[in-house]
Amino acid sequence: MSLDTNDLIRLEVNYRGIFQKTLAKHISTDVVYVAHSEGKTAFSNGRYSDDPQRNGVPCANFAYISKSLSEEDLEAEASAAMDIKEAELVIVLDDTMVKGLEPWGHYGIRPINEKVISGGTILFVSSRTPAELSKLFERKSFSYRIATIRGEASFSGLWYFRDDMTDVRVLGAIAKLNPGIASIESVLSYVKSKYKSDQKVEAARTAFEEVTVAEVTPEEGIVWPYPKPVLPGWKEFEEGTVVRAVKRGFSLGPRGQNRNTDFKRGTNRTQRPVVRFDICTKCTLCWASCPDEAFDPTKEGYYDVNYEYCTGCGRCADVCPVDDCIVMVNEMNLTSNESFYNQYLKNPSSYVEEIESIKGKERTIPEHITGKGNIVKRVEKPKAFKEVR
Amino acid sequence: MFEMEELMTGTDAVAHAVRLVDVDVFAAYPIRPYTGVMDRLARFVANGQLDAEYIIADGEHSQFEIGKHASSVGARAFVGSSGTGWLYAMEAIGVTATDRLPVVALVGNRALDDPGAFGVEHNDALLVRDLGWLIAWASTAQEALDNTLIAYRVGEDPRVRMPVAIAMDGGYLTHSEHLVKVPSKEAVKKFLPPYSLGDRVLHPDNPISIAPQANEDWVMEIRRQNYEAAKRSRGVIIDAYREYESVLGIHYDNPFIEELDVEDADVVLIGMGSASVVARSVVREMRNEGKRVGYLKLRWYRPFPSEEIRKSLKNVRSVGILDRNFAMGAPDNQAITSHDIKSSLYESTNHPIVTDFIAGLGGREISRKEIRKMFNLMESGRTEKVYWIGVRE
Repeated sequence: MSLDTNDLIRLEVNYRGIFQKTLAKHISTDVVYVAHSEGKTAFSNGRYSDDPQRNGVPCANFAYISKSLSEEDLEAEASAAMDIKEAELVIVLDDTMVKGLEPWGHYGIRPINEKVISGGTILFVSSRTPAELSKLFERKSFSYRIATIRGEASFSGLWYFRDDMTDVRVLGAIAKLNPGIASIESVLSYVKSKYKSDQKVEAARTAFEEVTVAEVTPEEGIVWPYPKPVLPGWKEFEEGTVVRAVKRGFSLGPRGQNRNTDFKRGTNRTQRPVVRFDICTKCTLCWASCPDEAFDPTKEGYYDVNYEYCTGCGRCADVCPVDDCIVMVNEMNLTSNESFYNQYLKNPSSYVEEIESIKGKERTIPEHITGKGNIVKRVEKPKAFKEVR
Repeated sequence: MFEMEELMTGTDAVAHAVRLVDVDVFAAYPIRPYTGVMDRLARFVANGQLDAEYIIADGEHSQFEIGKHASSVGARAFVGSSGTGWLYAMEAIGVTATDRLPVVALVGNRALDDPGAFGVEHNDALLVRDLGWLIAWASTAQEALDNTLIAYRVGEDPRVRMPVAIAMDGGYLTHSEHLVKVPSKEAVKKFLPPYSLGDRVLHPDNPISIAPQANEDWVMEIRRQNYEAAKRSRGVIIDAYREYESVLGIHYDNPFIEELDVEDADVVLIGMGSASVVARSVVREMRNEGKRVGYLKLRWYRPFPSEEIRKSLKNVRSVGILDRNFAMGAPDNQAITSHDIKSSLYESTNHPIVTDFIAGLGGREISRKEIRKMFNLMESGRTEKVYWIGVRE
């Protein structure tokens, strides 16, 4: 007779390192408390390999809930592994993670829906529609559900937590999406007793009522373009912990420099810098300040962002002395990681027109990037395209 | 008797214990997984829940020196580290023991560099096993809290006066959340007498000199004192657990080891740390299938529970050791715990077959399936003295 794990519910909370650390911990811990309040056994852990976290790196917390397993059996089943293999409910606290997750080297860029099982659910905090998100999923052979609660990703810094009720809203949605974890009544009474705030109770209830759910069918999504690395056996690699250098390669132009293909880190990004090459003065500051050396110098003296490697830290936009030349744009507004400079060369004026339409009127550099509050600038009329000779 | 029951990580649980014993001085230098404790303690000090000197050292060596010196002037001290940080502190760790100062240290087990790795391996704690430190291993967050409280009582006892290391698996135990019952300060006060070095305290009113230079006409006698103190610690540990139960109602069947279905077992696996939770679950499962298997957990590693192990294994045919450590080129190429177990069994009337399972290094998971595989190998089909379980071939 082997251990009956039929009623085990596994929860994965995907979040942005540092910026959403406290938020994610609230959720996974609260789930355990709420499940306990219903007499279930539950337990949570953070993915240890994510620590010490770097800004924006995709991280995960897990929670496990069971009605029948003893505390020790639940732990034996769930806590022995540091990463989850499958989950009944996957939570995504920032929708830009739909583009893939690369938490550390030799891990590959993995799809956000990798762990969802047949009949399971993936929940986003997002102002996009389910269809806009699920079209970026890896195609699966079975059906499952996608759900959203409306909102922008909630970001905080390392030393503070911005309490915008995302945590209690997610709890409310969980009760709707998987009542096996906890009923809405239990969630509300837990929120009430923890915060003594009717507003928070209301936020949880509203999320419960308003969560949008849609079916994801086997045909939906894309064939995932990134391979999953196969790690070598112990006889198959060099002794002495040697890591061979990336083969030197330096030529001018987009993708002219060789970089480490085993850890690209572009999936850290929630925003990306978009460059107006037509008004760039070639001052080199962006290229020199980039902590990830993500700029490729071009023959003409410009600097092209390699979006596979750009972590979206915003440093280039911060140092750029030309108004509106480098602007941070939400990652969801853009699809391709291809060279923008190449697009610019093909047709400079239509490139400028296109990126200006994507940028929108408001240019926000969020607090977690500036460290001195949100910097919002409204641009009614962007600079006109400037012919460069 | 208890102030709360709360969901907390293993490092939080240790921090609560440090708060409850009302330490006077603690020194810190960050390294994962130990960092969790200093984070939490910093919060306790900031919130006014703990009145202590919190000293951020410039490295682990200074950190452990600070602990040692604080302890010598009569301050209750706490320090800790992990993996390579623990190694960097090693010279200070050595003299803390030979100066017989009852510092309590957390060693959040972490792989030794290189490669730079964060996951659990037991080599860091095991490196001090012969230096005059007592070592207690925790397999749950509750046990980590209990061990820490008991460690202060045992280490500070005038019959012992030795430093104690609280070993705890990095990641699995330090960073996962469990419900822990936190005793009240009053209860802990009842259990743990105030720290006193008596007339050994370094103080202007009590002029003494400690840690002098000594020639060959002194060293051996000093070692012998330490050796006797380590022997005496057994009795002090037994007393401490008895007192812990009478004050807090927390019962441990045996202070040194924890047996699950060992009594009538044919095959027994021995280990320590968080893998015990998985092993115990598998034993219960296999017992339901009618297999005569058992699990023996080591809680105290120094003093090593030889007598308990001999008694526990007196009818066992085959023993497996779950070694989450490495010992390159050691006897029969087996890892560290195997040697201590085998030494103990040499004096036994029963000499079971001993198989070493090297597993879970650098934080690799030890799954239920793998524990089952170990039991199956022990039951029949063992052809090797050592198996690497979970390595990518």
